[in-house]
Amino acid sequence: MAKWLDKLVPRSAIVVLVLLTAGAVVGFAIVGHLVTRYNANQQARGRRLYAQGLADLNSGNADKALEEFRAALTSDPNDSQYQLTLGRALRDTGRLDEAESYLESLWQRAPESGTINLALARVAARRGSIVDALRYYHNAIYGIWPSDAEVNRRKAQIELIEFLLQKDDLAQARSELVALAGSLPSDPGLELRTAELMVQAQDYDDALAEYERVLRTDRGNAEALAGAGETAYRAGRYRTAQHYLQAAVNANPKDDNVRDLLVLTNQVSQTNPFARRISDAERNRRLAAAFDVAGQRLTSCAQQKGIDLGTVVKPAGSSQSPPVSPASPLATLESRWLATKPDIRRLRYAEENDLPDVIMDLVFSIEQQTAQDCGEPQGVNRALLLIARNRDTADQ
Amino acid sequence: MKDLAAMPNPAAPPPEEPVRLPAPRRLFEAFGDVFDEDSFFLILSVFIGIFSGLAVVCFRIAIDWTHLWLLGPLAPAHSWKILAVPSITGLVVAILVVNVFPAIRGSGVNQTKAALYIFNGFIPFRTAIGKFICCALAIGSGQSLGPEDPSLQIGASLASALGRQLKLSREKLRLIAPVGAAAGLAAAFNAPIAAVLFVIEEVIGRWSAGILGSVVLAAVASVVVERWFLGSEPIFRIPVTAFKQPSELIAYLVLGLVGGLASVIFARAIGFFRPRLKAMPRATQYLQPAIAGLLIGLIGYFGFPEVMGAGYNYMDQAMHGQYAWQLLAILAALKIVATTISFVSGTPGGMFAPAMFVGAMLGGAVGSVEHHFFPHLVGSPGTYALVGIGVLFAGFLRAPMTSVFMVLEVSGNYEIIVPVIVANTFAYLVSRSLEPIPIFDLLTRQDGLVLPSLEEEREETILRVEDAMAPAPAIILSAADYIDAAARRIEDSTQTVFPVRLQPSGWGVITREQIQRRFKEGKGEHTVGSLISAQPLPSLFPDLPLDSALRFVQSYQIVPVVNRANPQMLEGIVSSQSVFEKYARDGHSEPDESDES
Repeated sequence: MAKWLDKLVPRSAIVVLVLLTAGAVVGFAIVGHLVTRYNANQQARGRRLYAQGLADLNSGNADKALEEFRAALTSDPNDSQYQLTLGRALRDTGRLDEAESYLESLWQRAPESGTINLALARVAARRGSIVDALRYYHNAIYGIWPSDAEVNRRKAQIELIEFLLQKDDLAQARSELVALAGSLPSDPGLELRTAELMVQAQDYDDALAEYERVLRTDRGNAEALAGAGETAYRAGRYRTAQHYLQAAVNANPKDDNVRDLLVLTNQVSQTNPFARRISDAERNRRLAAAFDVAGQRLTSCAQQKGIDLGTVVKPAGSSQSPPVSPASPLATLESRWLATKPDIRRLRYAEENDLPDVIMDLVFSIEQQTAQDCGEPQGVNRALLLIARNRDTADQ
Repeated sequence: MKDLAAMPNPAAPPPEEPVRLPAPRRLFEAFGDVFDEDSFFLILSVFIGIFSGLAVVCFRIAIDWTHLWLLGPLAPAHSWKILAVPSITGLVVAILVVNVFPAIRGSGVNQTKAALYIFNGFIPFRTAIGKFICCALAIGSGQSLGPEDPSLQIGASLASALGRQLKLSREKLRLIAPVGAAAGLAAAFNAPIAAVLFVIEEVIGRWSAGILGSVVLAAVASVVVERWFLGSEPIFRIPVTAFKQPSELIAYLVLGLVGGLASVIFARAIGFFRPRLKAMPRATQYLQPAIAGLLIGLIGYFGFPEVMGAGYNYMDQAMHGQYAWQLLAILAALKIVATTISFVSGTPGGMFAPAMFVGAMLGGAVGSVEHHFFPHLVGSPGTYALVGIGVLFAGFLRAPMTSVFMVLEVSGNYEIIVPVIVANTFAYLVSRSLEPIPIFDLLTRQDGLVLPSLEEEREETILRVEDAMAPAPAIILSAADYIDAAARRIEDSTQTVFPVRLQPSGWGVITREQIQRRFKEGKGEHTVGSLISAQPLPSLFPDLPLDSALRFVQSYQIVPVVNRANPQMLEGIVSSQSVFEKYARDGHSEPDESDES
């Protein structure tokens, strides 16, 4: 070979360079063909392995699926879908570092991709990193989606809010909810979900507004009525709650939860001495009744705690007062209750302007203290406790 | 191609072919003054890079294809295949190595170095073919070896064949093998800087400006070709790395120490078993790779298929925290065992990938343990796995500079440069103090060759002019001095030779006898300058190698040693006697033997 080549090739630099260039071109062509064939084979193998991986993942065999996804990606490293699926599978099996690495490398190639940002956001959410999760969720919300962009963005937004609620970051959740509510289409399902999230974020006013938005288009929507009633109840607006809960019970009489709430709100409504549009006589009756009920609750709570109020506590001013521990709140309340009892008779006199407040302050103190010491009460006591907690809004 | 079947035998005299190559006069006729052989060599380096890159692309595809064909895309744990495939393939490889390609045993680094220093750049083209086929079979079947060193030798072999075909001069032919080696390694690593450094550190063995340009061009060209066809993705995904605080360097120091110890164990195991297995009867040479394959298959069968093949996927997973530290430590130990078995059995293949594997696993293990005990001090174990790759490179392969740049190039992250330098330096120091002979030198010596190395050069005490220099004489004359004045000055002196400061610059020398004779002749009014040669003496600087004084001390009685900042200031003098006495005292009777050229 060398001899004929020696004869054939004139030894000049130009010829040598031309031959080398030609050799390089031929080499590129041959290797290019080889690599193309190799890549085609690898891509076919990658597709097979990916399909197997998906099947194994669906049948719960995550470890085998991971191996197959890895092999698929090795076969065709440029396929973003394999990488994304592998990253997601790794994330879902708790291998967050590796998942993040795969997804990060995808992200570097397509930082605008909503899908990749959402996958990374979920990794950050699993890590509990609010900062990273916010960044990636926002990227996903404002990113590019190959299809159903609006739906996917909204899903990402809802997922972000759920994550924030889970992390108790209510302020951030509320601001995300405001953005979500502002971009909602007219879809009762979405509006109801948004209202639920607002309730969880303790944004009762906006939640109620969202329920009412549904009811404006569908007055008989039982879910919206129940939601509005419950939201109003949580907001301490018992008259509004009573209204919606009553309508919800009418729409769906089988909902026991709503029915119970309605009973409670009715009790609040019937017990509240500060309700407007009731006569003075009725107000006085309610005050007296609340005073009696609070007294009974105090006594029963004291008994439950093993404190005998009848023997150890005397009315204030008694010359033979036994040494009652000043640190016992129940005893203090009992003495206040006993001291106030004679004043109940004076309710009928119009000049006693401050007395209703004095009585109800004591009633509320008793209800709150007994709730703290003996647990949440039931019936009228619970109604009084709710009024105590939401004194300003209870009649709304 | 001429007589490509000829294989270099280390024990045999060098082949004749390269020696009788004529200088390529006709080659440059067409371009006349446009470029000479040096310029042509630079252009040729680009083509060497292109051809080496193409060869390495094919080589990588061949390894992948072999692996898929023999073992399938998924690791076949607990299957007969994992035992049978490496064993049977080992037998096939052994038959090929013993009967067809006897020169392809080992990694190929030493063979390339031997080509440079012993065989005038001659590496048979058959070596490239044999290396390609046998390494693809061995690595593809699961032998614990890597493709980088074979790629290096394939590149060197291609370059050597091309140089012979073009009838380059002997000097260029010698240098062409390292150029091809750099191209092959750069394509295999996808890291041109590391490849250039490795070839300088381990193949050429010394810094040589004359070849650097060609090596760099070839490496860059081959990487471009490799990326053209296979993409520019790194070998493994780089974890999110972080260097938390300076005190974390202590943790990296520990990694360096552990890596250094592991390197020593690894090197000693190979150094111990290799000559013993090589010395066994020829018939056993057929069985050794097969038995090695079986043993490695057993390791895979019993739950550790990660140690089979080059193992890049598993290094990738170690860097991303997929293994507990116990498993990482086990994998590092098993990889040392498996690679030792594969390598000493004579199966052709490289040690770069296994060294990187062991380093990554050790790094991950050390990082995980440290992170467990000092979570606030130590960052992610993945970073330690990445740094660990370089640690074994520094400790086992004893290429400290390459190790640093390789990690940086592979990771593209300069944040970890300080941890890498700290860990690698300690690994290198531990390894060097416990095992003075680097692994490649050890293998060379086992093959009966003596080749220079950069490490030797680094450790060599270089004698300088100042070491043999006598202090400046008490009496220094000036060319403007009158002879009668000079005669009076030297009257009471015991000096026999006097340096003379010439005007405006330079130094001369005059003897006592010359001055006294002229004085007696009544020429006292003449100047000293009139007595000495118009040609000034050559002068030296104190920091020059003492070898440079040898050129002058035989011709001149004394040679002035002058200050670099002020050549008119005499620092001292050297004479033939002082120079040879210094060499005699230091056991250097002649210049450095390693400087063969």
